[in-house]
Amino acid sequence: MTRRALSIVLLLLLPALAAAQSVFAAASLSSALAELANHYEGMRLSVASSSTLAKQIAAGAPADIYFSANAEWMDYLQARHHLEQDTRVALLGNALVVIAPKGGAFAVRMARDFDFAGAFAGRLALGDPDHVPAGQYARQALAQLGWWPLLKSRIAPAPDSRAALVYVERGECDAGLVYATDATQSNRVTTLATVPDSLHRPIVYPAAIVKGRATTQVRSLLAFFSSDTAAVIFRKHGFTLLGDLGVQR
Amino acid sequence: MFSAEEIQVLLLSLRVACCCVLLSLLPAVLLGWLLARREFPLKLALDGLCHLPLVLPPVVTGYLLLLLFGRRGVFGPVLAAFDLQLAFDWKGAVLASVVVGFPLMLRSVRLGIESVDPRLERVARTLGAGPMRAFLTVTLRLAAPGLLVGSLLTFARSLGEFGATITFAANIAGQTRTIPAAIYTYLNQPGGESRVVGLIAVSVALSLLALVASEWAARRLRVR
Repeated sequence: MTRRALSIVLLLLLPALAAAQSVFAAASLSSALAELANHYEGMRLSVASSSTLAKQIAAGAPADIYFSANAEWMDYLQARHHLEQDTRVALLGNALVVIAPKGGAFAVRMARDFDFAGAFAGRLALGDPDHVPAGQYARQALAQLGWWPLLKSRIAPAPDSRAALVYVERGECDAGLVYATDATQSNRVTTLATVPDSLHRPIVYPAAIVKGRATTQVRSLLAFFSSDTAAVIFRKHGFTLLGDLGVQR
Repeated sequence: MFSAEEIQVLLLSLRVACCCVLLSLLPAVLLGWLLARREFPLKLALDGLCHLPLVLPPVVTGYLLLLLFGRRGVFGPVLAAFDLQLAFDWKGAVLASVVVGFPLMLRSVRLGIESVDPRLERVARTLGAGPMRAFLTVTLRLAAPGLLVGSLLTFARSLGEFGATITFAANIAGQTRTIPAAIYTYLNQPGGESRVVGLIAVSVALSLLALVASEWAARRLRVR
């Protein structure tokens, strides 16, 4: 009886043991990559914040590809020699947008003389500027516009950009700054304006192969991320493509 | 040893934990007595409901709090009428702690009351004490170690509360950033590891102290 139970458990484990490429990807990539996984056999996703994933990889997690939402954490792993040399590619770009709950839209002008703080009541939802990249870009843009001093005490910092989106969806916040890719996911928010990318550091999603994992299969998966099939899906989810420029960032 | 920011974090955590214990004590005594001494329909359901936050993922608890007590939540208009803001506020962190810590408080208080022989209360009544006086001077007095165990466990749980708090009260520096939220924030910054050593030491020390003290009080309860 126990032996039969054991063999059933082992059988269930088999697919997990079969050769699969594991991609450690930033949370904001989850929907797009989940769709990509339907077009690629043996791609396994592990989704969390870029920082958590970077720490897991540094601690020896079985990742083949690291797909980060910012360059900083990629640099962190690179500096600690956890990545295969010359495999790093800047694949995707993203933008920040100002959102409001559906039915609560108001006019926004991305200019220094616009009184953004006076345009809505309550708190402004964004990723926590102390550690969430989306929030850091947002703070940078708000500072550039001279809006930050008035809003500093009025932010609702979320653990990631998607959580900030939820605050606005639920109507807990009348306004928010989130990734364009997150805003397109929701039909319960209205996009009021796109933040010009000149106001913050470029939002870049780099990917690289983890040290010692550069097998042929892993290399071809990384190449698949720059394929035409992938391009269509990434664009559909609101990303811009940088890969075809071949820039190293 | 600690920066001004870290001291702010520690003081906030202590304030939230103390408020959490004070606020849950009275309801726990009432419910604990009800569950220990009375039979009524749906008793199991009430018991289960009170213990739910013990097993629910804290992030779910936090989300449910947002649905109930958020600005647009079920009780949002009521809170607004009293000019009370809970979501994204330190009072919301207290509420999250109360909900998550309450099962621990209730269990200990109930055990404390159950350990008191009901005959003692009846003796007090025959000696002329009213029901309230008999309860306060006999039952509650003898159940005091249970109340202490519950308070200490709830205090420790509140200090460690993270999931429900960050979902409902967020992680606002100087307003709702408690010890766990601060540790989480610093660990998410490259090179932030060195900043968390002090906070981790304090959180381990406080939790251990509360657990040892509660174990000591629990022994006193068992000795009787």
